[in-house]
Amino acid sequence: MLNYQFDWHLILNGEYRQWLLSGLWLTLKLATVSMILSFFLGLIIAVMKMSGQRFVRAGASVYLEVVRNTPLLVQIFFWYFGSFKLLPAAWNEWLNATNEFEFIAATMALTIYTSAFIAEDIRSGVRAIPKEQTEAGFSSGLSFLQVMRWIILPQAVRMTIPPLVNQFLNLAKNSSLAMTIGVAELTYQARQIESHTLKGFEAFTAATLIYLILSLVITGLMEIYNEKILKPRGAQA
Amino acid sequence: MTCIQFPSKVQSKIQFLVVFVSLISILTGISLAAHADVLGDVKKKGTLVVGVKDSLPPFGYVDEKSRDIVGYDIDMAKAVAKKLGVKLELKPVTSANRFPMLSEGNVDLVIATTTKNPERAAQVDFSHAYFLTGQKFIVAKGKVKTLQDLDTARIGTAKGSTSEKNVATSLPKAKVLSYDDYPQAVLALQQGKVQAVTTDEAILAGLLAKMPNKDKYEIPDLKISDEPYGIAIKKGEKGLVDVVNSTLLEMESSGDADKVFAQWFGPNSAAPLKRTFKITAEK
Repeated sequence: MLNYQFDWHLILNGEYRQWLLSGLWLTLKLATVSMILSFFLGLIIAVMKMSGQRFVRAGASVYLEVVRNTPLLVQIFFWYFGSFKLLPAAWNEWLNATNEFEFIAATMALTIYTSAFIAEDIRSGVRAIPKEQTEAGFSSGLSFLQVMRWIILPQAVRMTIPPLVNQFLNLAKNSSLAMTIGVAELTYQARQIESHTLKGFEAFTAATLIYLILSLVITGLMEIYNEKILKPRGAQA
Repeated sequence: MTCIQFPSKVQSKIQFLVVFVSLISILTGISLAAHADVLGDVKKKGTLVVGVKDSLPPFGYVDEKSRDIVGYDIDMAKAVAKKLGVKLELKPVTSANRFPMLSEGNVDLVIATTTKNPERAAQVDFSHAYFLTGQKFIVAKGKVKTLQDLDTARIGTAKGSTSEKNVATSLPKAKVLSYDDYPQAVLALQQGKVQAVTTDEAILAGLLAKMPNKDKYEIPDLKISDEPYGIAIKKGEKGLVDVVNSTLLEMESSGDADKVFAQWFGPNSAAPLKRTFKITAEK
């Protein structure tokens, strides 16, 4: 049934190549900003979830359950369209006037969604650290936050690297959902090219390859970071 | 001399990528033998599968009472199926996926407010135009008098339509935001995220009629393009094109085309329009 002549020339030159590149750039921006923010937000949530304060712990639990158990697409729509009803009119006007609200809403949704999974990964890393270290820290007069900051987290985060790679890979690919609210990232541009040229196979094969390369680069970078920076330091310690 | 020594895992990833890329290039170089007679297949299986919109009144939408997809496009589909003497099966499509569905054979015809244009005609075959409209805008009442008023505006539309391309041509400085579908573009307009929603007038009229605060919005008389709708058929299916075209011409001569138009766009409909066209043989 398949009778299709691939025509790469059209999409790999001129205007359409430019579209793909600008889409890639936006995907990189979206993924990088969300990765950094979600890592730190995930750390905070993980620490909250392990805190001795009952209310802090309960707050973190609610956050984790709500964020992990709702679809990312719904969360994107929530931050983009739903926030309109929640925010004061002046804020809405300001956000609309920034011209960047699509990007902001998508970054928020991706950050919050990913942070919940990262928090759980960090927590399982923390659980792998012997309890005696925490107790030793407390008896040396350190506070909970100091114990976390100086003793537990540096070790736990190192152990969390492999699951973190997974979260970052998911994040890079999940960023394609931002196109539903008009963020012109890679998948959006591939679709644009398809609707202008009807060369959907070429556009999406190109986009797929770019995502693949992007994922392999992320994995490779984390691998290098792990092998070259974390391991030697760990050996010295 | 120094050289970068990748960890072995990174090296194996690079090898994997090389293999994957060569695999893709081999696959895409191959084109399998053609088999082209959709018309024969349709008659053999006794069913005509038509891709239609299911959330775009009055062209194709789900009727609240019967739960069936109804509309102007659906009546066209019914006429073609009747002419062929086969059963009709409707499959919802979006602006973005309708052409892939057609080229992959998931649907036999696409009757989904599809504008005929030369770029598209190079990829699919079109019937004679069965509807004629023009691209306009929905904006807040009284805000927009001339096209210049939208010069640097943010304008919403749906992905995969010709609308975005037309705006880019006539308002190059405006920012076009393409949402997944029209209802989201309308929501963005109501929330002030865009200043206008643009697409074909006939679709806009249907959208405006459904807006909860429709008295605050209007469709000014600013047309930026002519949009003739055609029925899309897989490239090279001449037999099917002929059947579709003769169906359309018969509908015009028998007066059925007029009746269908009056039902969906007549004075008592939600989105009244004047019929300014006749279905005629083209080329």
